[in-house]
Amino acid sequence: MKKRQMYFRMITASLIRRRSRMLVALLSIAIGATILSGLVTIYYDVPRQMGAQFRNYGANMIFTPSDGSFTQADIEDGRSYIESADIVGVTPYRYESVRIHELPVMAAGTDLTQAKLTSPYWSVEGEYPSGTGSLLLGASLSEQFRLFVGDTVTVSYTPEFDGRSEDETILDNTIDLTVAGVLETGGPEEDYVYLQLSDLEQLTGKSGEIDLAELSISANSDKLRSYAEKISSSVQALDARLVKRVTESETTVLTKLQALVLLVTVVVLALTMICVATTMTAVVTERRREIGLRKAIGASNGGIIKEFMGEGMLLGGLGGIIGSVLGFIFAQQVSVHVFSSSITFMPLIVPVTILVSVAVTGVSCLLPIRSATQIDPALVLKGE
Amino acid sequence: MFFRMIFGTLVRQWKKMLMIAFTIALGSSLATAMLSVMLDVGDKVNQELKTYGANITVMPKESSVLSSLYEVEDGGTSGAYLREDELGKIKTIFWAFNIVDYAPFINAKVTLDDGSETSAVGTWFNHHMELPTGEMLDAGVTSMRSWWEVTDGKWLDEQITGSRNVAMVGTALAQRLGLKSGDTFHVAGAASDMQLEVIGIFDAGGEEDDRIFMPVDTAQTLGGLDGKIDSIEVSAITTPENELAIKAAKDPKSLTISQYETWYCTAYASSICYQIQEVITDSVAAPVRQVADSEGAILEKTELLMMLITILSLIGAALGICNLVTASVMERSAEMGLMKAIGAQNASVSGLVLTEILLTAAVGGSVGFFAGWGFAQIIGQTVFGSAITMRPVVIPIVAVLVLLVTLAGCIPAIRMLLRLRPAEVLHGK
Repeated sequence: MKKRQMYFRMITASLIRRRSRMLVALLSIAIGATILSGLVTIYYDVPRQMGAQFRNYGANMIFTPSDGSFTQADIEDGRSYIESADIVGVTPYRYESVRIHELPVMAAGTDLTQAKLTSPYWSVEGEYPSGTGSLLLGASLSEQFRLFVGDTVTVSYTPEFDGRSEDETILDNTIDLTVAGVLETGGPEEDYVYLQLSDLEQLTGKSGEIDLAELSISANSDKLRSYAEKISSSVQALDARLVKRVTESETTVLTKLQALVLLVTVVVLALTMICVATTMTAVVTERRREIGLRKAIGASNGGIIKEFMGEGMLLGGLGGIIGSVLGFIFAQQVSVHVFSSSITFMPLIVPVTILVSVAVTGVSCLLPIRSATQIDPALVLKGE
Repeated sequence: MFFRMIFGTLVRQWKKMLMIAFTIALGSSLATAMLSVMLDVGDKVNQELKTYGANITVMPKESSVLSSLYEVEDGGTSGAYLREDELGKIKTIFWAFNIVDYAPFINAKVTLDDGSETSAVGTWFNHHMELPTGEMLDAGVTSMRSWWEVTDGKWLDEQITGSRNVAMVGTALAQRLGLKSGDTFHVAGAASDMQLEVIGIFDAGGEEDDRIFMPVDTAQTLGGLDGKIDSIEVSAITTPENELAIKAAKDPKSLTISQYETWYCTAYASSICYQIQEVITDSVAAPVRQVADSEGAILEKTELLMMLITILSLIGAALGICNLVTASVMERSAEMGLMKAIGAQNASVSGLVLTEILLTAAVGGSVGFFAGWGFAQIIGQTVFGSAITMRPVVIPIVAVLVLLVTLAGCIPAIRMLLRLRPAEVLHGK
């Protein structure tokens, strides 16, 4: 008991008395540990964060009817097979040919709030329609009809002939809508008019039918494939298909990015750890005189090694704790600045960081101490 | 005498100096590697993002309003076309070097033997071209449809097939017709009909699975559309858009002359589009927002991420070097004390220490620079399969960094040395 107390006293006293030198060592260990915990956290978080960026490309899965059309209930059914945390957006689409200024135009009835999530690349001049009564007009239609933001437009629809008396004239259904925004995508969407599904249902007088649903899911392509298979086989009305162009490319790019961060992490870590090791070696080497003195007054080699190692590892532990905190702060800052979202805290990284810094300092102390204990105390005390 | 003393230290204390040089080398290699990777990562990731396909489409000005999203259209009836003979001009614009690949498309409606109609798409697969500038160029959809999976046969290559009537068939259509690679089938177009030989079956995971892809001439012959092109897809390396680019995209005429020059000479999607419109008669080139915007966002994020990691590792390297330099200079207090005891001036002692350390730093720094360049190449080869381009700007940055860091490491040590009282030091306090 007494012996152990003495041991701790010697270790702590040595750290306190040689304050400035030990601060230098502690600082270097803490930097190493910061880099370790910071980069590892980023490495594990990059796929999730980058994956979210890749959702910019829009839907990566579509539901098509296995025959005719499907309903909102089918979508909900299919949706239940996907982990809700993975879902970025689900947008139903129903296409109908309507007329504006007596010219035929393709209209897509959809949930425009969801469409913003599944097609984040849509660039809208004006406002994004929030409620019913307004629509989003494709840019080329806007030019063709000279209709701009704020204009009111009458959309008409000829109901299908439903077999009632033939000479009865069928009147067009019409609805007045405000152009809330003009849609620019550089793609075929510019030739469409987008309106709320409920408006389209009111216009056509038919409800419940959906032609297609776009899903944006943040998951890798294997997971997506298994979702698609499960949904296609379990939900009768749906045929789930992957948008290959998006999923394949995402996998390619994401794999490369993660490999890049991994390699960079490994290189940076290796170099930093060597830096920590050289600093520790320098700190220990300069205490050769002290080692010599202790040996001269009768300390055993084992005792000296134990004591110095204790000191080194205490430093390592302290540095590790400081480093884990700083590393997390760093990773958090990176995440907020780069991805503007906060990082997930991984508890496992803390013990790993502390263990690694203890191990690195331990090993880098051990070698110089061992060589120091092997020399003749008389020589060291005499000054080389 | 000065040099002899320095030389003496370097030789006699070579172990200690080697350790300092080694740490500085590690630090500078880290800085070099991270800076080179950081500066090049944009280009590299941009190349990778090309797997998403074209980011610019070129259409005729009067293109049909009713071409449709889910391909219910009846195939190129609009009456407005681009001219095939102008295609080479795309490679002559100011930003030609940034155009990675491009391919024209021409749609022709064809009738199959079972009476069903489908769309025959003529395009370049691996088209060889001689430019007006005398350069040679191979372009085509092979790289712009990287997500296509060729399930049977192989990619069509018009340089191999020559003038044979060949085609690649989408998997859905092939299944319906029971076609395999090597089979021939009959199609009738608006102008003529012919037997097509199937070179490959592809799975595109979309509407293209129901179509037939063939060389441009073949589709033109089928549809009687000689020399006409529906659209061009261009895959270009672009700079993420900023406010200037957005303003310019709306109306280039709203810019001042100097803004216009900046915009024109920067590889924004909008300026490349503008330049393409200048060379292709009656065309409208527009960035494909889905690809162009996402590319910009991802690029920006990756660059920022790499920059922050680089800054962290630079700070780490700097502090590591600083530490070691301080520790190793302080260690020599006895020697310095002795020098002062026999009458050395403060200035000459500091000069001596500084010169020694800076010499060591120069050696360590240059060794580290080359090692770091090696690390960067390893990263480039492993991750992207291509070399990292060395930017000359890295050399001065690393040099200044090493110099500053080493000096910073020396300052506290030298201040301590100056405060030394020779008697105390020699007494061995």
